[in-house]
Amino acid sequence: MVLLYEMVWRFLHALLYVQRALVAWFRVHIWRWKRAVVGLLLPLALGFHNPKKTGAIGKRTSRRVRWGADGRTLEKLPLHVGLLITEEEIHFTDVANLVVWCMAVGISYVSVYDNQGVFRRNNSRLMEEILKQQQELLGMDSSKYTVEFMKNGTDKQEHQVLSCQSVVKVLSPDDGRLSIVQAAQQLCRAIEQKEKTSKDINVTVLDSLLRESKNIPDPDLVLKFGPVESTLGFLPWHIRLTEIISMPSHVDVSYDDLFGALQRYATCEQRLGK
Amino acid sequence: MHSYYEEDVILQTGKSTVMSWIRERELSFIERLTANILKAGPMPKHVAFIMDGNRRFAQKAHVKRQEGHSQGFEKLAETLRWCLNLGIHEVTVYAFSIENFKRSKEEVDGLMELAKQKFSRLLTEQESLEKHGVCIRVLGDLTLLPADLQQLIAKSVMATKAHNKCFLNVCFAYTSRYEIANAVKEMAWGVEQGLIKSSDVSEVLLSECLYSSNSPNPDLLIRTSGEVRLSDFLLWQTSYSCLVFQSVLWPEYSFWNLCEAVLQYQLSYRSLQKAQDLHREGQALQQMDADRTCVAELLQHRGNGKPMDAQSRQKELLNYTASREERVRCFLNALQHKRDTFFSDLSSQAVVA
Repeated sequence: MVLLYEMVWRFLHALLYVQRALVAWFRVHIWRWKRAVVGLLLPLALGFHNPKKTGAIGKRTSRRVRWGADGRTLEKLPLHVGLLITEEEIHFTDVANLVVWCMAVGISYVSVYDNQGVFRRNNSRLMEEILKQQQELLGMDSSKYTVEFMKNGTDKQEHQVLSCQSVVKVLSPDDGRLSIVQAAQQLCRAIEQKEKTSKDINVTVLDSLLRESKNIPDPDLVLKFGPVESTLGFLPWHIRLTEIISMPSHVDVSYDDLFGALQRYATCEQRLGK
Repeated sequence: MHSYYEEDVILQTGKSTVMSWIRERELSFIERLTANILKAGPMPKHVAFIMDGNRRFAQKAHVKRQEGHSQGFEKLAETLRWCLNLGIHEVTVYAFSIENFKRSKEEVDGLMELAKQKFSRLLTEQESLEKHGVCIRVLGDLTLLPADLQQLIAKSVMATKAHNKCFLNVCFAYTSRYEIANAVKEMAWGVEQGLIKSSDVSEVLLSECLYSSNSPNPDLLIRTSGEVRLSDFLLWQTSYSCLVFQSVLWPEYSFWNLCEAVLQYQLSYRSLQKAQDLHREGQALQQMDADRTCVAELLQHRGNGKPMDAQSRQKELLNYTASREERVRCFLNALQHKRDTFFSDLSSQAVVA
């Protein structure tokens, strides 16, 4: 009897696996088809309305304007969006696209996370991709959307800019539990040196200590990419009120996918306990 | 307006075999079949629930909010039965957040009254609780609650302490940030008392100082009513748990919703195991590094100029680790004793008028 149940279970999971694979395949292929069609029609449309603004520059400007306008149509825009990639194989270009779109829409703080520390180790590669895609998608006039890269203070290679509207930060599991532990150690050392007593410790004290070393604002929204239904160690302290929206994959993700998630975020109601 | 469940409970008043917190109802044939199929795969051992949607349900069903909460409790009793049927022996629920004190006085008082009712009822069902081995734990800052409720809770916890067949953790007057800050406070207390050193502070130790230290991390967290946030619930403990957000309102939760969540857990199982293993490895490495650093410092202080050979260094490291583990063990015993004393003192106080 037990063997029968096991067989049925295996069959059920095999079905689900096939269903997932089919859905993923359709999603990618339909989007590619859509992009091809738009690629054919857009130049025609632009050529018809604006004989001057043809070509790549025209496309970029109209996209930038459109994305900025999109951001303003939303009832609320998250201040900090966390891009949580749960998939094993990471496509840097797609992640860079997401970052650039977020910036274009008007999100001022974007963090990128994976639980294996891939982004942490390939920080410069990600930075390059983002700058490249910024150029590609937003065009020459990218000074308005200049980006400040932050990597936990140890990296001197920071692209400091004058008018930075967006901050991009690479995060790893060390920024989560480990940071809390480090703050706890700091407090305990203060106890050993008789600078504090245990009665002084509360949520506010711990919170401000965490902000002191790495001032990461609480994410308003986490976009989770991939089939794994977990935060995989992403900033446990900070995500207490964060909306967690799941997306099937970051591979070949489109602007519409992102904007759809932002629209969903805009409609959610936070009661804050009341 | 009597709901079906209320009548059920009223009729069975006086029978000592009935537990008001866990419904006595067997699964139907189809439900049993499904349960058996699911159990062929990996099953969560500990499930956490954010039971959201009572008020929206009340609005939908055109009943009072209090009735919504009442039905929410009945649904909890039913869900606990389903969990036991599925072999899930530990359940943690988010009953009342510290943030919920912001609600209207009427609603808060109503919820406190409901809690008093349920805990009082629980205390009359000692026999059933013992028979089924149910251990009730309450996590949160209990000092925020009315004194009589605190006492009822303490009595319930003390009465079921020794039971070990299934565990129900009720988060009441709880937020995760408070829990984490409190754990840090406890470690600071340990340092103050000279039981541990600041260098002993680690992820593992912090986990042992949380209210939930006697439970493994939840494998699965389910939130109903369609909201997709954690709302300050078990933020530390669910870092590597499977999160399932379901749009059904809590009082309408069904066995099939639970199976759906378990299925989701099974689909994410391998990836989660991998992530958890990676994390554990990282933790072990960090601990070893920390121990090495401490030993190096110690040897420097002790230093007589002679460089140590690898074998003696290794021996020193093992000694240090053993003494650290002993320190931590003593500290955790002292912490447990402090917590037990809190509950036993509270439960044996003269009844507040």
